[in-house]
Amino acid sequence: MAKKLLIVEDDQFLRELVAKKIREENYEVVEASDGEEGLKKVKEAKPDLVLLDLMLPGIDGFHVLEQIKKDSEISKTPVIILSNLGQKEDIDKGMNLGAEDFLVKAHFTPGEIIEKVKIILG
Amino acid sequence: MEKKQELLMVLNIISNFTDGLLFFDEKDRLVLINKKAEKLLDINKKLIGKKAIELTDIPYLETIIGIFLSKQNLQKEQAKINEKTIEVSFINNKGTLIILHDITKEKMVEQMKNEFVSIVAHQLRTPISSIKWTLKMFLEGSFGQVKQDQKKYLEKIYTINERMVELINDLLNIARIEEGRYVYKPVPTNLINLIETIIKQFKEKAEVNQINLVFEKPNFSTKIVIDPEKIKLVLQNFIDNAIKYNHKGGEVFVSLKSDKENITVSVRDTGLGIPKEQQKRIFTKFFRAANVMKTDTEGSGLGLYINKELIEAHKGKIWFESKEGKGSTFSFSLPLQKNNNKIK
Repeated sequence: MAKKLLIVEDDQFLRELVAKKIREENYEVVEASDGEEGLKKVKEAKPDLVLLDLMLPGIDGFHVLEQIKKDSEISKTPVIILSNLGQKEDIDKGMNLGAEDFLVKAHFTPGEIIEKVKIILG
Repeated sequence: MEKKQELLMVLNIISNFTDGLLFFDEKDRLVLINKKAEKLLDINKKLIGKKAIELTDIPYLETIIGIFLSKQNLQKEQAKINEKTIEVSFINNKGTLIILHDITKEKMVEQMKNEFVSIVAHQLRTPISSIKWTLKMFLEGSFGQVKQDQKKYLEKIYTINERMVELINDLLNIARIEEGRYVYKPVPTNLINLIETIIKQFKEKAEVNQINLVFEKPNFSTKIVIDPEKIKLVLQNFIDNAIKYNHKGGEVFVSLKSDKENITVSVRDTGLGIPKEQQKRIFTKFFRAANVMKTDTEGSGLGLYINKELIEAHKGKIWFESKEGKGSTFSFSLPLQKNNNKIK
């Protein structure tokens, strides 16, 4: 069965681009456009991995990550932060909250993002 | 002018001067304090004639007297006093004149500017990411086969967009450096290993540009307390320049020297050099020398400025020697003692 990825990203165009790239790699994609929807879909869809933006309307990505890691049912879901924040404090905060990796959008291509996903999903 | 009149005039100037002024005689006794100083320090009693040591229990004066009595490094210092940012200068001449210059407003404007730059740069990253991702996916055939000549143009735009990514990174770095919260977490670092990693990163670029990049590895090994990421950035900027502003077949040497107090790293190139009349502006933000602007339109003029700020935040020194047409040597030195490495 194809592995399932959830992408939480408020910018529609960016979300579509990554989703397209993910489908090309034969993964299943679930999309969410804000933190609340993201958190809901982690619980419902039980994805194998979450690509998580940080600056989101409503509850932000840090908070979503915190909630995921607190909930024993979904806490094992690996999360890659995909954000345009990227100062040391942001990275430290994200990694301390339990993210697998922190990717600055402007520094990675969709192909490179997928490579990171593959490493984690094995 | 009569002596008396002259004295009156001087007293008038001192009394109404826009900076706070205090004067201690050679026995560290306070002999003068003007109105502005009293106002800045919130003082409403007579202090004239008291010794500096007796003044340390006055709340806002404590900081200044502390710096003054330590008798070390009596240069300009910034101090937070009474919720204001004060630049404190010490002038020694038969006693010590202390000048208090209120820079609260400048600091505030600077902070607003830095916040503005930070916000703009972050906001720019989203559209630039969209452009980057779309172009890459075009090039990888996600939107159908791309013809060879079309590919060439897409690749060109991709490179230009990458330059924007870098420019935004530079702007973000500068905003943070100027806020004084960029250099931190100094740790003992093996500088030789750090240099070797960077040399490896630049191998490909050097080959493409047909430059012989050499690390003249010293026969000693040394650890120094630095923020490794930041010193890495400094070296990357130096080496990148040395390769970029060089001739085909040129050379770049990275070397390292150490004495009791300092460790010095130099990057020497056989490149274009810097015109003499422009040398004193080389570390200025956005400055680019006339000769390199003709051959290379890509630089932002921010690299060396960032380097200077980072090295000075490490209490180090940065300098260069250059001859137009012959090449340049850029160097920095860092103090070896741990306690000198207190980061601002």
